[in-house]
Amino acid sequence: MRGAVIPITMVPGDSPIHKIAPLPKLVWSFGVLIISFMTRNPAILGTIILAGLVLTTVAQVWKPMLKVMIVLFPIYVITIFLQSIAPAFPKPWTAIIGFGPFTIYQEGIYSGITMFGRALGMTIFAMVTIMTTHPSDLFASLEKIGMPYVLNFILTVTLQLIPILQREFATVLSAQKSRGMKGTGFGAVLPSMVPVFVGAIERVQQLSISLESRAFGSSGNKTSYRNVVMRAKDYIIMVSGFLAVGATAYWIIVDKSLDWSRTLTFSPTLALSLVLVSMAIFGTFVTIALVKVLKA
Amino acid sequence: MAEKKPVIEFKDLTFHYQLQEKPALKNINLTIYEGEYVAILGLNGAGKTTLQLCINGVIPNMIYGDFEGDVIINGMNTQEYPTRELAKVVGMVFDNPEFQLTQTSVAEEVALGLENLGIPTEEMRGIIDEALETVGMDGLQERSPFALSGGQQQRLAIASALAMKPEIFVMDEPTSNIDPIGKEEVIAVAHKLNKEKHMTVILAEHEVEVIAQFADHVIVIHEGEVILDGTPHEVFAQVETLEKIGLRVPQVTEFAYKLEHQYGMKIKEYPVRIDEAEKFALETFKKKQ
Amino acid sequence: MSESLIRCENLTHIYDGEVVAVDDVSLDIKGGELIGVIGQNGSGKTTLVKHFNGLLKPTKGKVFVKGRDTAKMRVQELSRSVGYVFQNPNHQLFAKTVHEELEFGPTNLGLEPEEVEDRVNKAFEFFNLEKYRDSHPYRISFPLRKLVGMASIYTMRPDVFILDEPTTGQDHITTRIVYNLIERLREEGSTVICVAHDMILLAEVVERMLVMRDSLLIADTDPKTVFSDKELMASTHLTPPQITELSYRMRDNKQIKNLALSVNEMITEVGKHYPLKRSK
Repeated sequence: MRGAVIPITMVPGDSPIHKIAPLPKLVWSFGVLIISFMTRNPAILGTIILAGLVLTTVAQVWKPMLKVMIVLFPIYVITIFLQSIAPAFPKPWTAIIGFGPFTIYQEGIYSGITMFGRALGMTIFAMVTIMTTHPSDLFASLEKIGMPYVLNFILTVTLQLIPILQREFATVLSAQKSRGMKGTGFGAVLPSMVPVFVGAIERVQQLSISLESRAFGSSGNKTSYRNVVMRAKDYIIMVSGFLAVGATAYWIIVDKSLDWSRTLTFSPTLALSLVLVSMAIFGTFVTIALVKVLKA
Repeated sequence: MAEKKPVIEFKDLTFHYQLQEKPALKNINLTIYEGEYVAILGLNGAGKTTLQLCINGVIPNMIYGDFEGDVIINGMNTQEYPTRELAKVVGMVFDNPEFQLTQTSVAEEVALGLENLGIPTEEMRGIIDEALETVGMDGLQERSPFALSGGQQQRLAIASALAMKPEIFVMDEPTSNIDPIGKEEVIAVAHKLNKEKHMTVILAEHEVEVIAQFADHVIVIHEGEVILDGTPHEVFAQVETLEKIGLRVPQVTEFAYKLEHQYGMKIKEYPVRIDEAEKFALETFKKKQ
Repeated sequence: MSESLIRCENLTHIYDGEVVAVDDVSLDIKGGELIGVIGQNGSGKTTLVKHFNGLLKPTKGKVFVKGRDTAKMRVQELSRSVGYVFQNPNHQLFAKTVHEELEFGPTNLGLEPEEVEDRVNKAFEFFNLEKYRDSHPYRISFPLRKLVGMASIYTMRPDVFILDEPTTGQDHITTRIVYNLIERLREEGSTVICVAHDMILLAEVVERMLVMRDSLLIADTDPKTVFSDKELMASTHLTPPQITELSYRMRDNKQIKNLALSVNEMITEVGKHYPLKRSK
């Protein structure tokens, strides 16, 4: 299972993005989230994606970003197909072309593309934030604005545990294969889960005693080792984030012409090609994934 | 010889884990003095861990059960002080190094206890560096604990407890899950804590040769009771008693024992360490045939 | 009996295209051998033995088990011939009773229920675990669980048993039980390969030692030869058993001629040069 881990973790680096404090980055990421849900305008969503890609370049995290996208992109892309035949959109729908037993709708393509754009934009921003921010700094910042310490601790431990449990699971699988277990089906995976759970429980037991022995859970003043300093430029970035989100939100609410859902039309060829391409990408992904799982 | 202060006293301690009929510890009466290096020897399940958890107060404050008798640590009765108070006096590490670590960097792991005690951030760095230096890991502050070797992880756990500046250090089979080099590193640190930092060290360990080499006080536990309590020479001389309960003695001691019991040689004191065994051999086997 | 069970021809294993874990190792293992594989963490010893049951496949070179190239075989298939007992039994055990646990392996091999039952019963006898037949694997003590782990591979009747640290962290009683089991396995004709740090196991039980250092197989010989080579021992950071250390010194002090790997051997050696009369 080496290398099968999706790198949703910090990527060490020295870029300008790395040097920004966690809070401003969080503000921008949440801002993107809010705006993405407020609008379906492809131009706005497209700008967000472009901005995200620019940030990825500045942060020099293309390699890990691509690794994440290899898994997520196909999953996002299939929404185009799904939406095109069953739009999550108020009727009436305008049919463009038939596709086997299905019909592809204008609104469907529009909806599919915008949903895809949303997911992609949010993910890119979230990933850039995660990849350029040390988790401890992130949690320490959150603690400063009111998140309880215990939550910080739980998040830190969980973060550490994920790769550990993955590794444990791989070991257990090896052990069961060494006992002749055939590797497919739910019935095969289940025997492997028990040892992993038991291991996790034992770990937690010893950990809790270890923590208790280090005065964990003391009431009273708790200090923090991690000291995140917000410099002037961090404040500027954070405030500009608030402003940008505020202004864009206002603009979206006020300017009705941003709703292109009835005005953007897709030719039958374009619509069909989009649907076929999305199915192809998704299909390839699923096939490769299945092959990997079965070969294991 | 200066009047030695008792730092750990067990007085008529009997403890049952919740809902267990058989006591985990029975009638324990022990005194451990300041600066001693105590080894606890016994089979799996004999009660070593239970005994040690009574020293830092986890039993009875965190793990419940039927607790009779008293455990006095540095004058404090463990039933009257919360674990976090006792944590300032007793540091403890356990047998699985990785299970004790949670943070994203070595320095943060060591800082954990300090954060809990409310030590100001400015003071933390110095304490952390000192603790890491003691265990020989200064310079690894930013490393991820999970990228360390077993020996390094255990030393990190030790540093993390050391940062609280305890006087007593308890180690529950700290080397059982690490490779030989790591084992040596950890045992060396334990020795340093005792000899250089003058801490009272309590070590539960299976390898009797290690015990013989470093400890000055050995306690043998069997089925929850103290069977033997004395110096390594006193304890390991009781070869038959130990064998009956399934424990062995250092090989050189076994050698001397067999020479006496199977070959009728008169031996004054059985060696337990390698250096004295060499001397013993030179004195005993004088003329080469 | 003189056919090789496991053969490595210039075995090299490279992780992630960069890390050479095993470098050009060739060796030959036959039936009925008792082998110890030693080396520090990172020396490649675990990587090496994982090739024997197919958990790892060679990057270069070949590994043959009973004449067949492991590169073309799956772990499940190889488990018929090579059993791997993991260091932490918790990684294997998942069933509700010890009995079920022992059934798992042979059932996976597709054996008839009567055959499975027969093997399970023989395993209970061999390991003296009958008392725990209906116990939950996680309700018995850790040393017993280790034995259950071994028993669950025993029921698969492999020709080779790989034991990963069988005695590490165990108390004296369990350790002796394991030594005894290893010898009895060999009596039944199996080959036992122990990856271990237990110096006494290596000195007194195994007959052949494979010493790994920095991905190379630097020694493949009997324990006495290995322990006699002080440079070898030092370079792999291995400390000999206490009695062997004493025998080094006594040899240096010109009191005995040969090394002793056990207390009884020491007495024998001493007896060669000094008068020792048995009194009992």
